Amino acid sequence: MMRFMKGNKFLIFGLFLLLVLSVIDMNYTYRALDNTWNSLLSMLIIVPPIFILIGLFDVWVPRETIIHLLGEESGMKGMALAFFLGAFSAGPTIAAFPLAMVMLKKGAKYSNVLFFLMVWSSLKLPIVFFQITTLGFKFSMIINITMLIIFIITALISPLFFTKDELKVMEQKAEQYTK
Amino acid sequence: MSIETIVIYGLAFILVIISVIKDPLKTKKGLIKGVKSFVKLIPVLVPLFLLIGILLAVVTPTFISSLLGEESGLLGYIFGLSIGSITFMPPFVAYPLGAELLEHGAAYPQVAGFLVAVMSVGLVYYAAESTFFSKKSAIYRNAVSLIGAVVVIMVVMVVFT
Repeated sequence: MMRFMKGNKFLIFGLFLLLVLSVIDMNYTYRALDNTWNSLLSMLIIVPPIFILIGLFDVWVPRETIIHLLGEESGMKGMALAFFLGAFSAGPTIAAFPLAMVMLKKGAKYSNVLFFLMVWSSLKLPIVFFQITTLGFKFSMIINITMLIIFIITALISPLFFTKDELKVMEQKAEQYTK
Repeated sequence: MSIETIVIYGLAFILVIISVIKDPLKTKKGLIKGVKSFVKLIPVLVPLFLLIGILLAVVTPTFISSLLGEESGLLGYIFGLSIGSITFMPPFVAYPLGAELLEHGAAYPQVAGFLVAVMSVGLVYYAAESTFFSKKSAIYRNAVSLIGAVVVIMVVMVVFT
């Protein structure tokens, strides 16, 4: 029982919130379930090709290539590649996590994977174009350039915060999820 | 169906065909791997969608507009950052909402802070990241993005007034 609760804490938390909402107003509950269903559907539409790409990536791209391009010794080039992978992507940030795990498993440096995730979450090009059309060029660019600088700095200093063991554990976890 | 979806399906389709031509066995192996990780990850992702659904039911755009309106002052900044950090919103909802907030008299720095927090900080992301990577990694990326949101507020204040 405890193990089930530990493994499903987010599910339990969600169900608890639903219960609270039902007490307050059933309409919230209906709306919440409706939203959940809709976003699940839209995820199920976009996600299959992403997993096909991940599977192909896994069998075709050798570990050595990833270590060379994004690994410990990849330097600025590795960061630039992580940026381009994140910026020329499509799909919600949730879809970036499995890809990030395959990268970690294949020997990409953690700071590069982190940078990739950061860029994907807020600097994807399709989203940036949309942002410019709704918020204007100047305002969008101030936000994006500031964030880019922050992402670069925090990716670069990230190794200071993680021990070798912690990084190893993450790599093993990634391995397990993408076996 | 959005262009994004079409592009990604097209890409997957073309790459599968190239892969089959080059090596059918390897392709099969790759596709099986893809399906396997899909099966492993879905149970982790479904509860997150439940959380997203709940958040979107309570924290509606109208609700946010009511908090980030005209003359909401310092409290408005704090609300903006906290709502942005907790909640999740697809960019196609978040950016038009930002534009609308500006139209209704919210200040540029306030909206900027809210948008950055919405895009890169989140309970939902935290849940996924702590499961897939580690708690520390999840805290680091989310905390850094929140600090980023505060820095963006200050930069926008300087440049945009």
